[in-house]
Amino acid sequence: MQENKNALKIAVTAVLTAVVVVFTMIVRIPTAKGYLNLCDVAICFIAFTFGPASAFIAAGLGTALADLISGYAQWAPISFAVHGLEGLLIALIVRNKAGVEASLLKKILAGIVCMATVTLGYFALSSLFISTAAVAAAEIPGNLVQSAVGFILGLGVSTAVKRAYPPVRFLAW
Amino acid sequence: MNTSAYVAGHGWLYRFDPRAKILLMVLLCVFFFLPITLTGLALTVLLVVVVGWRNTGGKNIARVFLSIAPMLLFMLLFSPFNVRSGQSLWSVRSLTIITVEGALQALRLACRFIGITYVCTLLFATTVMGEIMLALRFWRLPYKAALVVTLSFTYIPFIAESFSQISESHRLRESAREERKNYAQRLKDLLPTLTSVLVVALRSIPNLAMSLEMRGLGRSERRTNYRSLDSYTHLFTDFVISIIIVTVLWVLCKA
Repeated sequence: MQENKNALKIAVTAVLTAVVVVFTMIVRIPTAKGYLNLCDVAICFIAFTFGPASAFIAAGLGTALADLISGYAQWAPISFAVHGLEGLLIALIVRNKAGVEASLLKKILAGIVCMATVTLGYFALSSLFISTAAVAAAEIPGNLVQSAVGFILGLGVSTAVKRAYPPVRFLAW
Repeated sequence: MNTSAYVAGHGWLYRFDPRAKILLMVLLCVFFFLPITLTGLALTVLLVVVVGWRNTGGKNIARVFLSIAPMLLFMLLFSPFNVRSGQSLWSVRSLTIITVEGALQALRLACRFIGITYVCTLLFATTVMGEIMLALRFWRLPYKAALVVTLSFTYIPFIAESFSQISESHRLRESAREERKNYAQRLKDLLPTLTSVLVVALRSIPNLAMSLEMRGLGRSERRTNYRSLDSYTHLFTDFVISIIIVTVLWVLCKA
């Protein structure tokens, strides 16, 4: 039984990681320090639909792999930390008993946490390891827009997927 | 969609053991943050770029530079204003705009950024992803983590292809109205496409889980195993070379 569970956990994590990579790489708007993308849609979807552990691993690993593949390898550790934390925090905030929808207050809080984590995370880590605070600050508006749009779309997609494919609730761990 | 940064070639970096290459990459990234002279840093970066050019070709080197060019521009334009102390380089009446220290710090940041970018890029440009995974296993990456990454790489093309097909079919239905839509409407229109892609991806999970069970995942006697990196026969030598390279650079460049 434990083997079955392990296999399912690995399968879920692998496919969700691939989803994050595809969402990160398919729609890209170049900016001063890299690119804006749909990764937050995938991360918010995973956080709303699956548990904190899946959200942390798939979000962190998926965005880091996308950076490695796209030639932005220097951003991979930062993306892993920031987006992993983003997925984990959103999932922890909206986590509820099975079948119970998260309240509006929790969703708003999750949205604020999502934007704050991405914006402050990238600002702090990139000004510490890659550039300076002035250069890192230039990316704040882009990150705010990306995370806000990602959160709203992720929430919508999560609701739509739960309706279109109800067995998804059996895949969460 | 391209899922690999590998550039085919025959240079010496391709023959260097991937396990030693990872060590060298980490050591060089640490080296760029050590207290070293600006000239030493710039020459080290130049050396890395030349090695990259000799191994992966000028086209790849130019492509990487173009991808970081906007960031470099930002860095060189804005970083000098951060440092207010020191000798004035450019001033308007009594107001100092840029100091010598500020300009030097901007150059150091730019060199460091270029160095880290090329060191990381060269690892992935000269090593196939499978060998990087095997090298990471050598550096104690857990079996399940390596399996997740390997499986993800096999699923990325499938999901990307589904995305293209689904978005293409959605676009065919709405092509007449596309030009008049604003950004909000376009984002809203993405919802059905994203939902369909996610459902397609999620439907593949039970099959994948079943395949993993069939292959003996979690059992004491595994039916499959990772292959080894035995084709690289100079692991110890490559480790020593990696450490010598960074040590020599440190001795030559330390401030």
